[in-house]
Amino acid sequence: MADTEVLPDIEREEKTGSKSDLEPGWLVICWNDPVNLMTYVTHVFQTVFGWNRQKAEVHMLQVHRQGKSVLARTTMEMAEHYVHELQKYTLHATMERES
Amino acid sequence: MKLIRTLKGGFVFRLSPREKLLLSETVKFYPLVPASHHHLNKEGKSAKADENQRLLEESLAEHRAENRRLVLAMLDEPKRFRETKTGFELKLTHSEVEWLLQVLNDVRVGSWLALGEPEHEEMPEVTEENAKYYFALEISGLFQSFLLEALGVSEKSEWAAE
Repeated sequence: MADTEVLPDIEREEKTGSKSDLEPGWLVICWNDPVNLMTYVTHVFQTVFGWNRQKAEVHMLQVHRQGKSVLARTTMEMAEHYVHELQKYTLHATMERES
Repeated sequence: MKLIRTLKGGFVFRLSPREKLLLSETVKFYPLVPASHHHLNKEGKSAKADENQRLLEESLAEHRAENRRLVLAMLDEPKRFRETKTGFELKLTHSEVEWLLQVLNDVRVGSWLALGEPEHEEMPEVTEENAKYYFALEISGLFQSFLLEALGVSEKSEWAAE
């Protein structure tokens, strides 16, 4: 058995591989599906993001009038989480890297 | 369907026999939205994007399977709908209201997709083939409104012009 244990270089790989993922450069976007009730979209925004009614309504109306709304600017991991939660409610949500 | 009591952890709704039948028939459509409908991003074509998409679909499939199990349990559970002189009482916790909203919206969006994703003014003619989707679209929206009203989310008058 060797005196010195050689550990795999996991730590370094993780640091370089996840740096950009940890930066808040990801946008969570909700797109308009005309079939969704306005009250439903408001409720989902409140539930998923913990927003008050007023803020949720502002974003709901933006989706309704402009076709989409940027709901969050966050890390890749959190963006994936939010998109997944919104899609559980069958809202049309995607994420993209901020340009 | 009418909210008759608010409990500490949920709600009690009153339903007529006809409303109970309509709710049961509507949730039986679930799940209606195809698993491939949802995407993490608009353009992702990389191997990582494909992998993330696969994980998303798997996760949503698990979630829908669980919702489906809860729907069937709700319909089969004798005590869930308590019979009264005029109809039924349906007791739902807050989290059950959330999954029922998700189920109903899946049925609503799935029906809309089946009808060809029309805008309001472009709804296709009702035919024997698509009538069930019209039914599901309208009835799911109606029950969503009842539940949302119980949660205190109601439509504002100024939205009517939207």
